[in-house]
Amino acid sequence: MCKLYDSPEFIRAFLDEVDEQLELFEKNILNLERDPNDEIIRALFRIAHTLKGSSAAVGFEKMKTLTHKMEDVLDRIRTGKIKVTKPLIDVLFRCLDELKTLKEEFSSKGNNIKTDITLTLSELHKYISGDQLLKKTVGAEINKEFKLDLEQQIQIQQAVASGLNVFVCEVKIKKDCVMKAVRAFLILNFLNQLGTVIKSEPDMTDMNDNIDVESISYLLITEFDKEQLKVKVLDRMLEIESFNADLFDLSLIQSQSDNGCNVTKDSGYEKQNTNEIRNKTNQTVRVDIGRLEKMMEMVGELVIEKSRISQIVSLLHERYSSDNSFEDLEEISNQISRITNELQELVLKVRMLPIKQLFSRIPRLVRDLADSLHKEIELVIEGEDTELDKTIIEDLADPLVHLIRNAADHGIEAPDERLKAGKNPKGTIRVNAYHQENQFILVVQDDGRGINLNKVKEVALKKGIISRQESDLLNDKEVLELIFKPGFSTSQSISDISGRGVGMDIVRNNINKLNGVIEVETKEWEGTKFIIKLPLTLAILNGLLIRINNEIYAIPVSNVIEIVRLNEKEIKKIKNQDVVIIRERTISLIWLHDYFKVRRNIRNKNIVIVILGIAEKRFGLVVDELIGNQEIVVKNFGSYIGKLDIFSGATILGDGNVACILDVAGIVKTTAFKKSYDKEFA
Amino acid sequence: MNELLDYQYVVYELCGEKYAIKINEVYEIIRLKKITYLYNSKSYLEGIINLRGKIVPVINIHRILGLENYSDTKSTRIVILRFNDELIGTIVDRVIQVAKFSDIQPTPETVDEIDGNYFEGLGITQDGEVIAIMKVDKLLNAEY
Repeated sequence: MCKLYDSPEFIRAFLDEVDEQLELFEKNILNLERDPNDEIIRALFRIAHTLKGSSAAVGFEKMKTLTHKMEDVLDRIRTGKIKVTKPLIDVLFRCLDELKTLKEEFSSKGNNIKTDITLTLSELHKYISGDQLLKKTVGAEINKEFKLDLEQQIQIQQAVASGLNVFVCEVKIKKDCVMKAVRAFLILNFLNQLGTVIKSEPDMTDMNDNIDVESISYLLITEFDKEQLKVKVLDRMLEIESFNADLFDLSLIQSQSDNGCNVTKDSGYEKQNTNEIRNKTNQTVRVDIGRLEKMMEMVGELVIEKSRISQIVSLLHERYSSDNSFEDLEEISNQISRITNELQELVLKVRMLPIKQLFSRIPRLVRDLADSLHKEIELVIEGEDTELDKTIIEDLADPLVHLIRNAADHGIEAPDERLKAGKNPKGTIRVNAYHQENQFILVVQDDGRGINLNKVKEVALKKGIISRQESDLLNDKEVLELIFKPGFSTSQSISDISGRGVGMDIVRNNINKLNGVIEVETKEWEGTKFIIKLPLTLAILNGLLIRINNEIYAIPVSNVIEIVRLNEKEIKKIKNQDVVIIRERTISLIWLHDYFKVRRNIRNKNIVIVILGIAEKRFGLVVDELIGNQEIVVKNFGSYIGKLDIFSGATILGDGNVACILDVAGIVKTTAFKKSYDKEFA
Repeated sequence: MNELLDYQYVVYELCGEKYAIKINEVYEIIRLKKITYLYNSKSYLEGIINLRGKIVPVINIHRILGLENYSDTKSTRIVILRFNDELIGTIVDRVIQVAKFSDIQPTPETVDEIDGNYFEGLGITQDGEVIAIMKVDKLLNAEY
C-alpha cells in the first residue's frame, strides 16, 4: 500500500470529514423530500463534490466513483434536467447508505474494499443516461480514449479551477498527406503554443514515423474558447481535413482507475488541496481524544490540590488571622480556586458536543420506519444544541434508536386506527434534550396507544418472567418496569423493526453503563414517555459523600433520586427483605453494613436512607451520616486490585484521604438485596 | 545465586525479624498514613492510599506471611514497590538500612516458620548476620 495510507492523521481527518459531510447530506435529502428547492440541491451538490475531492485525495477509488456519479445526477437536478421524485430520493438515500458502508469498510480495512457499488451506480446511471447520451455521444466517445494518470488529472482539475478551458481536439489529417506522424507533431507543437497539451491519442511518444495516423485527439488546456481555437488552427496548419474541439468531460477523470503509486507521488499536492478546502469549511482543530483525556486527568488533580489548599487555609485561619501574609495566602487560595474552576469547566466543555450529531440520524430513521410500517409520523426534535460528553453521546445512540423504533412500531397506531380513536391520523414522536441541574435529560415521547399494563403482565407471565403469585403483588409502576426485562416483547410478530425483545434490554444496559436513570410514564390511548437522565460527563462527577461505619464513600449524584429520614419503625419486612414505603412505592433497603460485615449502628431512631436509581431500578441505601456534596475525580484502582463488585473507583478528598466511589449498578448486582429480589421476581 | 550479590538491598523489620528486598524494586518509602479500607475478597489487601494524587493499594505482608499483625508505631513505614508498572505499598515495622551481602545461600524449606517459597535466598552480611531476601512477585501474587 502506498505511503499516503500510512499517515493516520490524514486518514482520520478524512474519515471525520466524511462523517460530517454524510450527516449533512442526510439532513439535506430529508429536506429535499419535504421541500425541493435550489438551495438544498446546491448544498447536496457541494457535499458530493467535497466528498469526491477528499476521497480522491486519499485514493479511495470506490467512494470517488460513487460520489462522482452522484454529483452528475445532482447537477442534472440543479440544471432542471430531471425532477425530484420519490424514487430519485430513494436512490440518493441508497447512495448515502452505500457511502456509509464504504466509509466503515475503509476505516477498518483501508482501501481493500469489498462492497459492491455497481448496482447503485447503474441506478444512478439511469438518471444520467437518456438525453445526455444522445446529445453527447460524440464527445463521450472521444473523451473515453484518454487514460490519464493522477498527475494529469490534477493538472486538469487545477486548470478548470483557475478558469481555463480543457478541450479535446480531434484533428483529421488529410488522407494524401505524407509523413502524417510529423504533421501530427507539428500540430502538437502549435497547440502547445496556444496552451498545454496534456495528452494525445494515439500517444506521440510511442508513435514512430511510419505509423499511418489519420485522426489524432489532443487533450489541451487553453485560455482560448472553442471558436478562437478552431480559427487559429485552421488558419495556421496545413493539410488538415477537419478540426473539432469539444469541452473535455471532466467527469471522466474520476471514473478512471489509477494505481496506488501515482498517488504517492502526488500526495503533497493533494494534501494541500484538501487542506485548503477544509480550512474554508470550518475553523476548528481536531484533537486526539487521548490528549483531552490526559488534560482532563491533570485538571482533575489540580481540583484535588485546590481543595486541599483551601482546607489548609481554613485550618490556619484561626491561628494566624491577624497576620498580613495570611491574608495574602487566603487571597491566593481563593484566586486559585476560581481559576481552577474555570479551567475545569473549560476542559469539560472541550469534550462536550451538541447532541445534534446524534439527533441528525433520527429524521431518516423515522422516515424509513413510517415508510415500512405504513404509518404517518410527524417528528418533533427539540434541544439539539444541548451539549453532552462525547463518549456519552456514542453510548446513547443505540438506546435512542431503540426507543424511537418502539415508539413507531408499538406506540403509534395505524392511520385508520387513530382516526377511529378520534386522533389526528398523523402520529407524533417528540424527542427532546435539555440540561437540568448538572444532568442531561433526554425525553422520547409518542402520542400512540400507550402501554397496556394488563398485556404486559400477561406477556411476562407467559414468558415466565414473573409467576402468577408475583403478578398479583405488583403495582402499576412495577408492572411497567417489566418491559426492561431481557426477552420481553409485547409485539405479536417479530419484524425487522422490533419484537425480538432485546431492544429495551439494550436501552437498560447502556443507561446502566453510563450511570444513568430511566423512567417510563404511560397513559393508555394517550402515549408513552421515556425519560433518560445522565451525568454530563463521566470523568469529573458530582458526588454525594456519605459515611458508613467510619469510612467515607462517594455516590454519583446522578444516581441519587432523593434522601429521606425515616423512623426505624417504618421499616417493614417482606420475605426477610427490609423495605420502606415511600409515596406508595415499595423500596427495598440495602445495608452495606452487612456486606462489609460491620454492625448496623443506629445512633438515633431516625435512619438516613439515600434512594438510589440505576436505569429502571430503585432502592434505598441506609447510611450512617450524610457529609455533603463535592466534585469528585474518578480514579481507577489499577490492575493490581482490578475490578471490584461495588466500587467503580476511588477519589481523593479535600483532606488528602481516599474515598471509594460506590457503583450503584454493582451494588444492585452484588448485595443480598439481589438474591432476595431475584427469588421474588426471577 | 551469584548475580544476587551484585544488588543492594533495603533491610527492614517485620515482627522483630529482619528481611531484605532488592533496592531497585523499591520506589520509595513513606510514613504510615491513613489507609482507606477497601472491601474486597483479598484479605491481605489493607486498603488504598493517596500517593501524591495516585491511588496506590497497600498490602499487609504480616498477614501474608502469617505473622502477628503490625501495630501503628512511630517507625512503621509503607515501602512502595514497583511491580508490573504499578505501585504497590507494603507495610513494614521498621526500615533499618541499605546493605550488600557478602554471600547468599539457597533458601531452606522454611524461614522462621514461613514458607521458603517467599524468599530468593538467605543473604549473609559481613558481620555474619543472616537476612532472608523477599521474592516480590511471589509476595504480591499471594493467593489468599
